[in-house]
Amino acid sequence: MADDVKGGRSVEQFLKDASLFLAPDPEIMENHGLEPRTELEEACLAKENDPHRLGLVRERLQAGVNESFEMLENMGAAPGAKWGDCVSAMYTASGDLSIASSGGVVIFCNLVQYPIKFCNKYWAKERTVGIREGDAFIVNDSRYGQAHSTDQSLFMPVFHEGKIVAWAGATVHEGENGAIEPGGMPGTAEQIWDEGLRMSPFKVVENYELRRDLVTFLQNSVREPKLQYADMKVKLYVCRRVEQRIKEAIAEYGVEAVVACLRNNLEATDQEVRRRLREWPDGTARHCWFTDNTLRESVQIKINLELTKKDDELTFDFRGSSPEFTNRAINSLDITNKGMLAQLFLTFIWPDLPRNQGVLSPVNFIFDPASVLKPSPLTPSSQTMMTLFTAWSCGQVCAMKLLYSVPEKYTRVVAPWFNMINTFMFGGITQHGEMVGNVCADINGMGGGALADADGQHSLAPIFATMADLAEQEFMEEEMPFVQIVSKKLMRDNQGFGRQRGGMGYQMILAMVDSPMWGFMLTAIGAKFPNVPGLFGGYGCPTYPLARIQGVDVFEKFRTDPGSFRFSIEEMMNERPYPEATYSTHPMSLPFHASKSGELYMISQGSGGGFGDPLERDPADVARDLDEDLISHDVAWRVYRVVYDRETLIVDLAATEKARDEARQERLAGSRPYKDFCASWSKDKPSGKVPYFGCWTDKTRVHAGSPDVTYPASQVNPPVMMAHPMQVRIDALEAELAALRKAGGQS
Amino acid sequence: MRRVSVDIGGTFTDCSLVWDGKYVEAKALTTHQNLALGFNQSLQNAYEQIGLQLQDVMEGVDSVRYATTLGTNALIERKGPRVGLITTAGFESIVPLSRGRGYGEGLPDRMQRDLPMAERPDPLVPIQMIVGIRERIGEAGSVLLPIDAEDVRAQVRKLVDNGVQAFVVSLMNAVVNPEHELFVEDIIREEFPEHMLGSAPILLSHLVGGRKGEYARTSSSIIDAFLHSVMYHGLSTLELNLRDNGYRKPMLVIHNSGGMAQLNSTDALQTIHSGPVAGIYASEHLAAQNDLGNVVCTDMGGTSFDIGLVVKGGVKFYDFNPVIERWMVNIPMVHLVTLGAGGGSIARYDRLRETVAVGPESAGSDPGPACYNFGGRNATVTDSDLVLGYLLPDRYAGGHIQLSEKRAQRAIAKDVAEPMGMELVDAALAIREKVDNDMANGIAQELRARGYEPRHFTILAYGGNGPLHACGIARVLGVQRIVVPPFSSIFSAVGAGNMDQMHIHEKSVYLSLYDSNTRALLSDFDGFNAIVEELEARGREDLLRQGVAPERIKHRLELDMRYGNQLAQTAVVAESNRINSEDEMLDLIEAFSRDYGRRYGEGSQAPEAGIRINTVRVASYSEMSTLELRDVLPKAGDSAAAPEPFLTKPCHFVDVDGAQDTRFYELAALPFGCSVQGPAVVLSEATSFLVEPGWTLRIGRYGSGLFERAA
Repeated sequence: MADDVKGGRSVEQFLKDASLFLAPDPEIMENHGLEPRTELEEACLAKENDPHRLGLVRERLQAGVNESFEMLENMGAAPGAKWGDCVSAMYTASGDLSIASSGGVVIFCNLVQYPIKFCNKYWAKERTVGIREGDAFIVNDSRYGQAHSTDQSLFMPVFHEGKIVAWAGATVHEGENGAIEPGGMPGTAEQIWDEGLRMSPFKVVENYELRRDLVTFLQNSVREPKLQYADMKVKLYVCRRVEQRIKEAIAEYGVEAVVACLRNNLEATDQEVRRRLREWPDGTARHCWFTDNTLRESVQIKINLELTKKDDELTFDFRGSSPEFTNRAINSLDITNKGMLAQLFLTFIWPDLPRNQGVLSPVNFIFDPASVLKPSPLTPSSQTMMTLFTAWSCGQVCAMKLLYSVPEKYTRVVAPWFNMINTFMFGGITQHGEMVGNVCADINGMGGGALADADGQHSLAPIFATMADLAEQEFMEEEMPFVQIVSKKLMRDNQGFGRQRGGMGYQMILAMVDSPMWGFMLTAIGAKFPNVPGLFGGYGCPTYPLARIQGVDVFEKFRTDPGSFRFSIEEMMNERPYPEATYSTHPMSLPFHASKSGELYMISQGSGGGFGDPLERDPADVARDLDEDLISHDVAWRVYRVVYDRETLIVDLAATEKARDEARQERLAGSRPYKDFCASWSKDKPSGKVPYFGCWTDKTRVHAGSPDVTYPASQVNPPVMMAHPMQVRIDALEAELAALRKAGGQS
Repeated sequence: MRRVSVDIGGTFTDCSLVWDGKYVEAKALTTHQNLALGFNQSLQNAYEQIGLQLQDVMEGVDSVRYATTLGTNALIERKGPRVGLITTAGFESIVPLSRGRGYGEGLPDRMQRDLPMAERPDPLVPIQMIVGIRERIGEAGSVLLPIDAEDVRAQVRKLVDNGVQAFVVSLMNAVVNPEHELFVEDIIREEFPEHMLGSAPILLSHLVGGRKGEYARTSSSIIDAFLHSVMYHGLSTLELNLRDNGYRKPMLVIHNSGGMAQLNSTDALQTIHSGPVAGIYASEHLAAQNDLGNVVCTDMGGTSFDIGLVVKGGVKFYDFNPVIERWMVNIPMVHLVTLGAGGGSIARYDRLRETVAVGPESAGSDPGPACYNFGGRNATVTDSDLVLGYLLPDRYAGGHIQLSEKRAQRAIAKDVAEPMGMELVDAALAIREKVDNDMANGIAQELRARGYEPRHFTILAYGGNGPLHACGIARVLGVQRIVVPPFSSIFSAVGAGNMDQMHIHEKSVYLSLYDSNTRALLSDFDGFNAIVEELEARGREDLLRQGVAPERIKHRLELDMRYGNQLAQTAVVAESNRINSEDEMLDLIEAFSRDYGRRYGEGSQAPEAGIRINTVRVASYSEMSTLELRDVLPKAGDSAAAPEPFLTKPCHFVDVDGAQDTRFYELAALPFGCSVQGPAVVLSEATSFLVEPGWTLRIGRYGSGLFERAA
């Protein structure tokens, strides 16, 4: 206002100069769409508008990005880089993701748009920073644009005649980051400062060289200084390669063609998505699902989704989902949710589309602020996957419902893919004397959802990447001091039943063998409530516990009693071959746990959801699953109602049909009018047996643990603050002790 | 030199006969029911050209060599025995799960990215034929869980009951300690001796591959077992045929590692893709003898475009985990890339990008391009070449296929021109430019990923469509020189005539050259040298067994090295086969640094993270005499007058406005050294050389040609 301006001063300027620090900028973070065309882009598009020529430029640039991705996979030292948990990409000068590598994780590069935009807005004109040719910036703080703080991105401006014309970026799931637990994804983080490095975007490269002072600081901040250094260098050289290819394309085709190409990619994708969406029926699909654990305690965290398609736009409305958890690591940022849903479209709906952020341009998102899907800046989110992936699966279910009746599809309708990171993390001293902290490649072994015309594929790929790798155990053992005694063995009955069954997951039994200090941890959900549902009558996946056998050294047993070990979780837990040992099951959340040699840790990867009614499953397919020991006789009868000779597995078709008819009659006999069903099924409020978070029927009000108290969504006060599990345990023991004392007559 | 080398392909059996300075090429149809018939026919077609008799050839020839793609065909057709896999208990699903990513191995990007469509290939070993046995070897070779003989017997019986015809034994860490695999082999032989089961081969994984990686090694062993009988019987038939015809020397089989060996020293797996690999070796030889420098070999056929690299100075490019058909294996294979681009590649309108897309879908040869008039209706690259005027309808494929211009025009109009609102010729030009661009990008990515710039390379173009598209590819890459090699239609067979007898042995190691944590350099030189000696001894034994004189045996030491815990495996050829001093070790570190820096960028080296050797590989070989190709290509002073073209007609070219009068020549009528200025087309029996405007073609010997771009 004029009154505020005195002699070139202004309140606005004062406030700007007196900023405590530059937090993530909502103007940047709230906008997942395309930046407006710049003047340069307008001019370039006016000059270079031959689609054929732009196509040639695009392929040239795509080849360059793919080449850089190959470098990243090969040079990367982090296990994530070796298993495809990385990506490289080109961005417009404004920061929009225009060309991602054909391989790698879309969400990673989708999120790098935000820190680039941050740098453009804040550091370009900041005299103490600036953006110059040969600079590169690093980021891992999810609030500025990363999936979670275990990922690290490095990005570099590409200059032409003194102006930024593009950006190059590379991201790797690095693992170790100095957090409260090793491996970079602490489940016990109660505040963001427990989550390890928090790198807001800052300049770490000048004149194409890493600044050794900053590298040293970062190395000192993590458990794997070697990894920190090596992969920063790798990402730098990957970005340099992308920059080189952009500059070569400029030299050959002209800067106008390159700038126009990068922009045209985005707009063409946006238009194509809109065209495809117009073919979808208008309407709304709804789905809610639950996260059953905070990684510290059992809870019910509701994810609530209404997906509405109207004209050429989609709206994901997640309102009514659980409020945020102030001191739990399972919150997932809205930008992360958006980025994962880009993966849904680019892998499960329109895999033919180019991988850029234009795909999300016609998509709207609505979240409650201060919810578990759009948490406040100071809430931890290192285990974002716990709610992120539940939300993603809700998106998948709703999208498949809408997609089913669309005449032209670009791939098949698929039941929910298994969505959880059922894998061990580890940390400690290796047999080679190195301190490490990271994650096993089994994270990639998620079972595929069933299809309308085919069973799902067993342990195929994670929901966030294609062509990911389960790795070779021999290489793993060579570097790490633990043995997977059972490594990749499909687990019987671990199946999303259906007319077509989901792809199954495999079990793992492992033990530390040769380390002075070693531990495992586990950060997954789904031990009490299945992670994914089925589709159109198919069953969801089973629930999966962690099973442990303590008080025994299995390697000693191998020597003294080699015949006693059983090669499946089922047999080990049911037959209990070591009488002196302790057998236990737990939720899939294990805080970092110092391990003794030969103690057994056992989990399973999960199954994709089934498709259609199991009573319609071809009996021959059931017999094949029996023959391959994928299901038990119990399941063959109880779920699929197939009658066969147990010796030969020859199916009695007539008896099967009869049994199935009877089952259908039983269903009919138990049926009731919808109104009656609702009356008997619906409850006014949560049961209260497990703390419940999220809306019940009215999405504007949410529960925050109590069945009786609700709050306006986004205004939960006091915010959800969970007690420390150890304190809960102490309180319970003290109460028990007090009761015993009282019973014993002591004060 | 008197030498017969043969490449048995899916359609043709190519024969190269060298006889006292005479070079003869010939072809015959491959006879799958009995390969010897096709072989005999192609050989007859060769020796008759120089007036010889079969007996003369068989008694006088110094060697007979085979490259074959038989194995690939057998895999595609799933023709093989019922293989049973015996693996470590707890690992029974490693093969069915194929490291997760197995669904997409061997498929184009578009399919790899489509998870709902993902399907693993039909298994070579069904789940019912996989058994786990109670045993476990640790990563350093110690026995963690002793093997149980009774358990092994029970599992073997189970496989026998299920009808096993070939055993694969692949146990964890067997490459470090093979004791348990050998134990299982003994039990199988004890339980089911040959007189009971017949000759069921037993393949032990540690003998198939020496490197760690249980899935890839098991997969290698399975493919080896699956192909064993078809390859063994097929090639044995050929060897017997040679014996019957009077040939007394051993038959040599080309390996995909870039060498060759006698049949009894050849694993089936080593023969896969041996034909294209032989082509790369022929290119290397041609490049070396004609001072062509770095060469990229391109073989463009009807459905695919193969790329191989030959770099001056003998640098070898291997794939350490090549994909064979749809399976990853872990034998070292000469690097070869196949793109889905060929004459049959289908063109279509890409709505999203408002331009044309080509491939990877192909019309193949049946129904083939629309212009074949065999029922194909899709526009293809060959249709585009016809519409642009490069192909003569009655001269295609040696006149065997009559092309229909009308069908080509209709297909391009329907699929591309009308949706894009373009004129027919513009649409055809767009198709051509697109496919050339795709192939060029494929080459560029291959070269640049290894630190080379395409413009510094010469393109070697062969295959039915190679010389027709070479100028277009070179234009995109900035390449100035193209060579169509001599005998280009049988080039792989020529390559087979140029290879050395060679065996490769390798071993996984965990060897730290520099430990950055302790700042210690390797000091146990004896330990390292002992590993090399062991591998050399195995290679020497292989060659001695095949009658190679001890003094002719040489060894090349290659080390797969990496910084820290990277995945990158840079194969460094050691200057010395032993490390005896710190200086020699530093030489090795410097060699690694040079290779790494060239590939990933100078300065990207990270010795601060430590330096490790992961694999020690020894190639043991015996050099053999090679074909003389020194004067095949015209040199500066060579010249001759070109005859008048037999036809001049208008053709259309990318980046050139309007139709250009283009001269057509018969290759056979063009003398050595004569020059043909573009635009021109030179026709041979097997292909057409398209000389685009701005290029000059100089004619060499044996059907070769040298394209040069005007400065």
